[in-house]
Amino acid sequence: MSQIPLLGPGTYLIFGIILAPVYGMLLAWYFGDPIDKPRWRLGVGALVGITTALWGGMYVFTVLIGVIFF
Amino acid sequence: MSTDAGREALVRPFQRTTKRYYGLLALVLLAIGVFAAGYTQQLQHGLIVTGLGDWGSGGGVPWGLYIGAFIWWVGIAHGGIILSAAVRLIGLDTYQPVARIAELLTIAALSVAGLYIIVHVGRPDRIVTSIIPAWPTRVHWSPLVWDVTVITLYFVLTATYLSLTIRYDVHRLRDRMPDIFDPVYDLMLIGYTEKEDEIVERMVWWVALAIIILAPLLLHGGVIPWLFALLPSMAGWAGGVQGPSFLMIALTSAISGVIIAAAIFRRVYGWQELIGDEVFRGLAKWLGFFGLLFLWLQLQQVVTGIFAAPVSLTHATEAKLAKPLYQALIAMVVAAEAYIFASALKPKLFTIPRLVGASLLVLAATLTEKVLFVVEGLQHAHFSLYDGVAGTYVPSLIELSSLLGTTAIVVLYFMIFAKLIPVVELHAVEDEHDADGEEVSA
Repeated sequence: MSQIPLLGPGTYLIFGIILAPVYGMLLAWYFGDPIDKPRWRLGVGALVGITTALWGGMYVFTVLIGVIFF
Repeated sequence: MSTDAGREALVRPFQRTTKRYYGLLALVLLAIGVFAAGYTQQLQHGLIVTGLGDWGSGGGVPWGLYIGAFIWWVGIAHGGIILSAAVRLIGLDTYQPVARIAELLTIAALSVAGLYIIVHVGRPDRIVTSIIPAWPTRVHWSPLVWDVTVITLYFVLTATYLSLTIRYDVHRLRDRMPDIFDPVYDLMLIGYTEKEDEIVERMVWWVALAIIILAPLLLHGGVIPWLFALLPSMAGWAGGVQGPSFLMIALTSAISGVIIAAAIFRRVYGWQELIGDEVFRGLAKWLGFFGLLFLWLQLQQVVTGIFAAPVSLTHATEAKLAKPLYQALIAMVVAAEAYIFASALKPKLFTIPRLVGASLLVLAATLTEKVLFVVEGLQHAHFSLYDGVAGTYVPSLIELSSLLGTTAIVVLYFMIFAKLIPVVELHAVEDEHDADGEEVSA
């Protein structure tokens, strides 16, 4: 079976186009006046923390399903 | 309304919990229980109990109400935050009193949309075991993985937006908020100083900008319709019109959702001054505008689908037009439009309960459209691919119970939010006060 190439349309769609507003937001947070690194960390911490809580929570849920049912 | 009176109104939900609240809570839990019982059946016996388990039990329809309702809830979610972001970005201050309700609607609706995916994949642990290991390679190729990515992104941005904006309000109203949630408020206020307000407001402006570009243009007008439009075998799903069409249905649904939620809060907590009539009159105009665009995009699809169109598309469009449910949903949107138009001509006709009625009609229509879009799209594939597949698709009781359950979950979210955080931004009260001051000095 032939291997699917690593890069495809999703590479530029997701990382180039869809995420572009997020890159802009992060740059504006960091370089915009007044520059305030603790608040930048707060914002990035919220983005990372919520993502981790969302998928981390589902991972724990999956582990629990495995332990209880399988 | 003075700022003090406004603050008093804002914290009213924290100060009294009526018997009606507990009664509604019991009803909501009952509805969730009904859904949970149905879902338990599905977990025990598999998706076959819904008729969605294979190609042989529903006329070739393995995606049905679950996926239709998923798109519907995502649509409600998308439009909710767009309204809030527009308030912040382009100064639509009239709608500031309902901005947070719109944000909360986004969080609640997105949560149940995600739940639909968990329910529809069968074993819920597949969400993690199938997606996480495959993500690094499949995100480059699979629209399904794009979908998971953008839904996550959207939830995270919305929750970040809310977590940043809520700090200002919680800090100033904390002494009037319930002590029992102190650990939650401590978490919300980590590192807070009043000096940050200006900086955080600027950061939130950029989050709002990112959301207002992402949500309409790239998510509900992009990745979500691409999930369908990029499948080459379904004539009814193809074409660039799906993006704008999905988006208008989302915005129409979302404005309806915000109208209903805001009307309920206004009535329950006596917020006639806080969420004034002008807010609802404005929302009615937006609903009318987006509803008109919804109808226009349906017209686009119908005309280009039946006039000298490719054979498969003609067949799919004719089948859609002949469907009584499709005719009914168009009639429902037309009826809501007629009311909004009539109430613009004769303002005496305008009442909030009637507007809520029109909004419910629109929500029923958009849900029907989304389910029909999914089901009909599958049934009328190219080369009549599934004509020989036995049976017809009819939503099972278990699927129908999911609608009851997810609606109840959204209501439960609001009931919890109402007790936890101010559901109207403090800025809405302060701005009104400032405006009053200016009028007096003028």
